[in-house]
Amino acid sequence: MIETTAAPFPTVRVRPWLGRLAIAGSLIATFMALVWAPTDAVQGDVYRIIYVHVPLAWLAYLAFFVVFLASLGWLWTKRPWFDALAVASAEVGVLFTGMFIVAGSIWAKPTWGVWWTWDPRLVTTAVMFMMYVGYLLLRSLSTDFSRRATRAAVLGVIAVIDIPIVHLSVLWMNSLHQLPTVLRAGGSPALDAAMGMTLGICVVAFTLVYFAFLAERMSIELDRQRRMFEARA
Amino acid sequence: MNVRHARGPERMGARRVLLIAVLAAAVLIGFVAVQNLASSAVYYLTPTEARDRHVATGTAARLGGQVETGSLRYDPQTRDLRFVLTDGTTRVSVIGTGAPPSLLREGAGAVVEGTFASDGSFHASQVIAKHDEQYAPPSPGATPSHQTP
Repeated sequence: MIETTAAPFPTVRVRPWLGRLAIAGSLIATFMALVWAPTDAVQGDVYRIIYVHVPLAWLAYLAFFVVFLASLGWLWTKRPWFDALAVASAEVGVLFTGMFIVAGSIWAKPTWGVWWTWDPRLVTTAVMFMMYVGYLLLRSLSTDFSRRATRAAVLGVIAVIDIPIVHLSVLWMNSLHQLPTVLRAGGSPALDAAMGMTLGICVVAFTLVYFAFLAERMSIELDRQRRMFEARA
Repeated sequence: MNVRHARGPERMGARRVLLIAVLAAAVLIGFVAVQNLASSAVYYLTPTEARDRHVATGTAARLGGQVETGSLRYDPQTRDLRFVLTDGTTRVSVIGTGAPPSLLREGAGAVVEGTFASDGSFHASQVIAKHDEQYAPPSPGATPSHQTP
């Protein structure tokens, strides 16, 4: 018998607060990004998409890293809670990735002059998106809980390799996408202090959104698991 | 269901093997991917690389470099765009049609797609502006570059 989770996810106290904090953070971040932060000398106001594009990208990386950890957790302990965490984080990660790809495209047209190009950063990002969409599709292939979880976990462990590849691609190869502004070795972030602060607040806001979505999705998944295990018993 | 699940030490042994196998596969795949990506994927050639590889006239190519200061010309009437793309060593005359992206500036980066002509100039079907990773507000008194023609 597969062991079922002992206690339900703390649904009552945490989730509403996560939601409220996420909304509050988003409002503050929106104000700072659109109004408070200064214009850019080169790009003008269109650069403000950075406050959506970059945090979403970082949170997507985090989400997929969480999928990696949760996949290891399932493979090691076979506790269904880890499978719930993995699928929840993968879904939020795929959503955020799709969003930052679109945001990037919107940014690209007035700056680079094209909606899309097959430069190394964009290629590896598209591959990352496909892999995790594949992760979600793989889960729909089997109905047996344990097999589905194990197959997904194997993919969840392997696919995480793409995250450093996505980030380092601009450093390894000639690319149109510029070098990292913040996550780089040697030298402080290449942006003005007020912009940096705004970016930081936006990252915090999106992190709250990530956790709010994650908590909701996990709670749905754990409910499904409970009903499934009760039906079997 | 009559499936026999492993118990106790047998289960831990099987799990350990699976985990190690999966991690090993991940590392192997990652290694192969990195090796391949880093060595073979070329998004653009610098003018020097294009010269060294003797890119044939008429072959589709993508070049990347900087717009040489003093070389950028655009005539709105004829829609004729000209500039020199350089990597500090080799210079390529680029000829294009249509207004360039507003971020295309002298001294800044550019990526062009098109073909080489027999006279060594590059006929671009697509001109893409490249910007660097620096972000800063305009210095007091200076006009932000996105507002200057």
